[in-house]
Amino acid sequence: MQYILSPYNYDLTDPESIPNLFLQHLWLVGLTMLISLVIAIPLGLLAARYKGLYAPLIAVADILYTIPSIAMVAFLISVTGLTLPTILIPLVLYTQLVLVRNIVAGINNLDPLLIEVGKAMGMSSLQLFWRVRLPLALPTIVAGIRIATVTTIGIASLAGLVAEGGLGDLIFKNLASGETNAVVAGAILLAVLAVVVDLLLLSLQVALNRGRSSLSVS
Amino acid sequence: MAKIAFVEASKQYKGTSQPAVDAVTFEVPEGAICMLLGTSGSGKTTLLRMANRLIEPTGGAIFIDGKNILEEDPIQLRRRIGYVIQQVGLFPHMTIAENTRVTAEIAGGWKRETLNQRVDELLELVGLPPAEYRKRYPRQLSGGQQQRVGLARALATDPTIMLMDEPFGALDAITRTRMQDELLRIQRGVRKTVLFVSHDVDEAFKLGDQIAVLSEGKLIQIGTPIELLTRPANDFVRKLVGADNILRQLQYLPVTAALDHDASAVSLPDEERPSCTSHATLLDAMLQLLQTRASALMIVDGTTELGLITLASINREITTARTKTEQPESEQEASRI
Repeated sequence: MQYILSPYNYDLTDPESIPNLFLQHLWLVGLTMLISLVIAIPLGLLAARYKGLYAPLIAVADILYTIPSIAMVAFLISVTGLTLPTILIPLVLYTQLVLVRNIVAGINNLDPLLIEVGKAMGMSSLQLFWRVRLPLALPTIVAGIRIATVTTIGIASLAGLVAEGGLGDLIFKNLASGETNAVVAGAILLAVLAVVVDLLLLSLQVALNRGRSSLSVS
Repeated sequence: MAKIAFVEASKQYKGTSQPAVDAVTFEVPEGAICMLLGTSGSGKTTLLRMANRLIEPTGGAIFIDGKNILEEDPIQLRRRIGYVIQQVGLFPHMTIAENTRVTAEIAGGWKRETLNQRVDELLELVGLPPAEYRKRYPRQLSGGQQQRVGLARALATDPTIMLMDEPFGALDAITRTRMQDELLRIQRGVRKTVLFVSHDVDEAFKLGDQIAVLSEGKLIQIGTPIELLTRPANDFVRKLVGADNILRQLQYLPVTAALDHDASAVSLPDEERPSCTSHATLLDAMLQLLQTRASALMIVDGTTELGLITLASINREITTARTKTEQPESEQEASRI
């Protein structure tokens, strides 16, 4: 605890200072989520539209998810070295399962009655999408983003292994040297970040769920 | 010109031997409520959904205002037609106000301020005080209230045609009666042309200006409730509408059908004879006769006196009606002997 409170660790010029490590972590998570969504959203929309795509897509995403993160990072070190892609690729691949699954579930678990009603009032496909399908799918999709982000926060702690910094650094670099204060500080900050982000995204999810009971995702 | 016309309208699903709708032909005049009456599988819902092309006919044609709807863009067609279904289908993520206006927003051509006013008017029309209900969500409303909003939503674009698929079927008996009365009340004001699917004969008689009886995809008979009652086309219709049912005959035959021309049957002087409007039914007249213990009622249309009605003449009319419908059976018996 003293580690967190000690001003000595807040020197912004020091790459190992808390604010810097924190920002590195945030940046890595942010970048991961951005790329993940750019990949998952089109995939999800296609899988929702063309049912035949769903099974193979999910099967692949599931295999990727099953491979332990540390194993993938270690493997990639031999391919891409100690660089950003080495940690970024596993992070992005891990999120795909949750994101694609939730995007498809959100879009397809819609009550078909509502689609019939929308069609009967003369909605075009585009109007149906913007006014009915998307708003009703959003809570489920955001739930997926939430889970993916929190998972990413955790796995990004491995960034230290490839010299990309992040809060994981506090843990790993100091484990060997026995600086338990730093290790505990890293753990606490990581946990707090995860919980805060989770709560923020949860409140977004609840806000999008207006009209229905707060935590349901259908 | 008829508002809606079905000409040999058919729907054959692939892989089935019987068509769901088999060459149905009839017309619905403007401002009439036409009940599509039949049991499950009779094709009534399929026929209804062909009118706004949610189901595409495989044969025949459907005309609205003289134009073949199969030649029109289905989306434009649907924006002109109101649609109410049994399960209501309000959008859960929209408030009541938003739900009510969505049809008008889709149809286009409404200004924002006018829409807000219109929503209030519509909610008022269906019996939901706007101030109280505007900002609520469907989840917070009872089934009956939700269906009122469903009705308001369908009326929002002021369509000339309404398609209603057993809209009150999911409601309890009390609410259903109330909603039926509400529909009749609203219809007196707006006079829409309505196609109403029902499997409830009482509902068909209560609401219908015209009843189309369907069975196994075919149109069996179409006519006014009285026509179906007094001249059923076959045994199926006869049993369906309960043509033998005395109470139903009393409820639907008008007093003018039972005028008593036997003047000697009446013994009271004119001044002591209660009067009855010509719009009343035999049941109303019978109850009035029993309550007042008069021997006759004078049927009056405005200030014109049309004639007398007595319990005897009512009984005669019921018997005649009964014999008319029993004739097919007695003819069969006669030919058997």
